[in-house]
Amino acid sequence: MSALVSILVYSIIGIAVSLVFPFTSWALGRWYQDSIMSTLREEEKVIVNTYGFDNKASVTTSNKMSQVGAEYSTLLHVSLCVGPSMGQIFFMWVKSIFGGRLHSYDVVLDYGRREALLRLRKQAAQFGCTSLINIRIETSVISFAKTDKSKQASVEFLAFATGIR
Amino acid sequence: MEGQVISLLMSNVESIPGKTVVNSLGLVTGSTVRAKHIGKDIFAGLKNIVGGELKAYTELLNESRNEALQRMMMDAHARGANGIVNVRFATSNVAAGASELFCYGTAVVVE
Repeated sequence: MSALVSILVYSIIGIAVSLVFPFTSWALGRWYQDSIMSTLREEEKVIVNTYGFDNKASVTTSNKMSQVGAEYSTLLHVSLCVGPSMGQIFFMWVKSIFGGRLHSYDVVLDYGRREALLRLRKQAAQFGCTSLINIRIETSVISFAKTDKSKQASVEFLAFATGIR
Repeated sequence: MEGQVISLLMSNVESIPGKTVVNSLGLVTGSTVRAKHIGKDIFAGLKNIVGGELKAYTELLNESRNEALQRMMMDAHARGANGIVNVRFATSNVAAGASELFCYGTAVVVE
């Protein structure tokens, strides 16, 4: 009887200990990503107020209309590599048993794209460009890690455009 | 030619805004395959505890992409071009732990 109880106790302790790391990582990741997301929102406001990059000044078209009056042009490119935290990957694996919306990936991918666009605009401002034309955003899964385990953990965003003034 | 920094006019639209294309010199390409050393890999793994941006990889990708662009510009320069239009980028995973960064465009002479 006591053997059964001790097996039960040890297995509960084992499960609890093995969940400590994923849970800590998940909580830390959640907190960290919320903080970088709020910083990003602030910076987006600042860059729009300072340089006037609104949706009219940055387009995905490349027709002649958008190039009227341009004197200078340059190719701008920004790449950014992001990944969710290990805990989030673990809980996503649990969640994917039932399917549905994977919130952690939503947040991370949204952050990566917006940050890439923000950096592109900052770079444009450095070159004195007043508008961006033919903006393209590409997404690719990269695996620099030597193990296959973290393969799905990193996503690269590449944003490129022609800046004109 | 290696080590020499060339700067050409580049754009990812059909022309170079503000200039006129007078001659087209064909397709130019540039590519590079890179891998990170294992130390930085471990640090990036540690960063994975909280997620977010993986700076080591961002840095690596940026410098490799610049190298690919530089190779493309050398190709164009060797043909006597002074501009490249319609530049595109492509990224592919060639092996676990390595990535190929590829860029291509049309070399042109502009005025």
